[in-house]
Amino acid sequence: MTQADLYTLLPLIVLVIWACALLLVDLLIPRGRKGITAFLAALGLALTLGLTLAQVSAAGTAFQGMVVLDGFARFVNALLALTGLLGVGLAYGYVRRMGIERGEYYTLLLFSVAGMMLMAQAADLIVVFLALELLSIPLYILAAFARPKETSEEAGLKYFLLGAFATGFVVYGIALTFGATGTTSLSGIIAAASNGDAGLLLTIGAALILVGFGFKVAVVPFHMWTPDVYQGAPSAVTAFMAAGAKIAGFAALLRVFGLAFSSLSADLTAILWTLSALTMIVGNILAIAQTNIKRLLAYSSIAHAGYILMAFVPFGNAEVLPVSVAAGVFYLVAYTLTNFGAWAVVIALEKAEGRGLDLDDYAGLGRKYPALAAAMTVFMLSLTGVPPTLGLVGKFYLFRAVIAGGFYGLAVIGVLTSLISAYYYLRVVVIMYMREGEPERVSEPWLNLTWAASALAVVLISLVPAPLFAWASQAVFALF
Amino acid sequence: MLLQYIAIAILIFLSTALAGLVIVLGELFGPRVKTNVKSMPYESGMTPIGPGTRRMPVRFYLIAMLFILFDIEIIFLLPWAVVFRKLGVFGLVEMLIFILILLVGYLYAWKKGALEWE
Amino acid sequence: MTPLQLVFLLTAALTLVAAFRVVTTRNLVHAALWLVVTLFGVAVLFVLLNAPFLAVVQVVVYIGAIAVLFIFAIMLTRREMRDQGAQLNKGWWAAALVSLLTFGGLFWLTRSWDGFTRTAAPLPTGQDTLSALGKALVSPDAFVLPFEIASVLLLAALVGAVYVAYREK
Repeated sequence: MTQADLYTLLPLIVLVIWACALLLVDLLIPRGRKGITAFLAALGLALTLGLTLAQVSAAGTAFQGMVVLDGFARFVNALLALTGLLGVGLAYGYVRRMGIERGEYYTLLLFSVAGMMLMAQAADLIVVFLALELLSIPLYILAAFARPKETSEEAGLKYFLLGAFATGFVVYGIALTFGATGTTSLSGIIAAASNGDAGLLLTIGAALILVGFGFKVAVVPFHMWTPDVYQGAPSAVTAFMAAGAKIAGFAALLRVFGLAFSSLSADLTAILWTLSALTMIVGNILAIAQTNIKRLLAYSSIAHAGYILMAFVPFGNAEVLPVSVAAGVFYLVAYTLTNFGAWAVVIALEKAEGRGLDLDDYAGLGRKYPALAAAMTVFMLSLTGVPPTLGLVGKFYLFRAVIAGGFYGLAVIGVLTSLISAYYYLRVVVIMYMREGEPERVSEPWLNLTWAASALAVVLISLVPAPLFAWASQAVFALF
Repeated sequence: MLLQYIAIAILIFLSTALAGLVIVLGELFGPRVKTNVKSMPYESGMTPIGPGTRRMPVRFYLIAMLFILFDIEIIFLLPWAVVFRKLGVFGLVEMLIFILILLVGYLYAWKKGALEWE
Repeated sequence: MTPLQLVFLLTAALTLVAAFRVVTTRNLVHAALWLVVTLFGVAVLFVLLNAPFLAVVQVVVYIGAIAVLFIFAIMLTRREMRDQGAQLNKGWWAAALVSLLTFGGLFWLTRSWDGFTRTAAPLPTGQDTLSALGKALVSPDAFVLPFEIASVLLLAALVGAVYVAYREK
């Protein structure tokens, strides 16, 4: 191990040390002043973000090829650190208001972000597995954070049981992959697969790993847990979970499928195509019937997993895949900003005991709080994919790449399901502006900053998306 | 190679056989007079109140969880300890980092009062 | 049949029967005890595979800690030790079908893999797997990173366990 090895993981190492120290420091902070812990956690994440951006991407592996630092890892790590910051910002006032203000919240969130960042840098299936666990275990606890509230406990338990089941699939897949290739290193798998001595066993291993990842990013038909967990978990946790787990899952899919298993495209492209199409269709159609905003956003999150999965369908096509993955990364940024903004609005209207979460509670918002309603409108439009929002730009890049890969059917399904989604997203807008009501909102500085800044970013970046897309492309192209 | 396990196999066999033997002997030679009073749970001669099994406090669960976590730590220590002398300073530092991280958890559990029994 | 094969068949049969009893017995404590038997059978299988360290892990962690945790969990949740409800629900045949299909499919697919029929190369004699593992865990050119991450993972799990199970006053 050299200094170069440590440098490769510097932001991650700093984050883990910070989290450990925060765990101890928090013991000294008296109850009722846990805002200090939140502040310290945010400081740690900001430091991580700064270090990530300052890292010179030498595109090298470290720890004997266990982890890798490249443009993609830096991009995703920066996005993850931002996700963590937004997660802390949303939680700050929320946990106090809901009476669940504990220092562990922030420590667990930091550990989870560390797991996600490790996932983005993993270059070995063992590290992929450990990263998956490190990001999941804190999320199980966070989902149950409002214990002994029953819905929250149920969410945590359900997420834990199904998550553990999914992890079992991943481990089994890794074992079969190891049996087929004799290695767990992703570059070793590429070498073994290109020698042609891997065969059927590798395909089965890859399929099992895909099932496990499918659970984690909520792809149909492995999505059953999502609505209940998203609804039962505290809203600030759900916002963080929806964005963070998707980003990390996407990074893992790229590392494992986009690169290591690229020789299996003949077998797996059709499967990915079907999963993506099913996820878009089922997620959007089930969302129509929802009357609870948290469930609506949960189904919306499933649907978006389908759009993001689209990026991998040209899998194995070395010309199109870089473009589509770059589009997927761009879409992730769009989804992260929109998602946090939408959840910030949900949190602003949520009351104790789970009230204030029905769509009817949004009636009259447009008249009483025009700015908040305008922001929510922006997020709903962005989730639908209507100009002038980032969602539209993301979908445009994604569909264009998929069409370039020759998957016209999938692009058509994407457009049609977006039209379906307009029905339920715009219904929220209609309720806000057309119906009479007396909504009560909570006004907290960090919360207001989150929705206001997200809304501005969603609109402004969509006007000049080229630099961000160029950055994403640059980060991704170096991989291939 | 596997012959070294023969001692364990013999031990398992003997202990199982002995336990079985004791039960069989008791069944064969023990006097049996079954009455309702005899099949009641023993409670110092008092009439028992409620069922013989009762729920245990949740604290046991916490202790068991902590035990598992530190048990796993011990398991990691075992192969390291076998080759400790060959590993040199680097191996020592690596294990110290490992233990230090878990020590943070121990301090946390301690200060939280999770180890106290009231 | 060599003695080794005999030992394997006996152990495998015991493990399977015990595993079956875990899910079929109505008494929860008995189920936990059958689980101990199953785990012990797996430990013996590890020994037969020349993986003594994994056998130790199996006994120390799985039997020594996890099975005990199961028994604790049963004792703190249930007043009645016997489960009176139906053991199968309406969807049992669907679950059985899916399990059978998955098992059959995996069996059929992996049949073609030559790893099952090929005789494995004998382990180099005199190699001590335990010290090899010890070296691999902390040496910089092997698994030092996963090793350290494992401790972070354990820490996160510990914080979670304390948070979920411990009620502060």
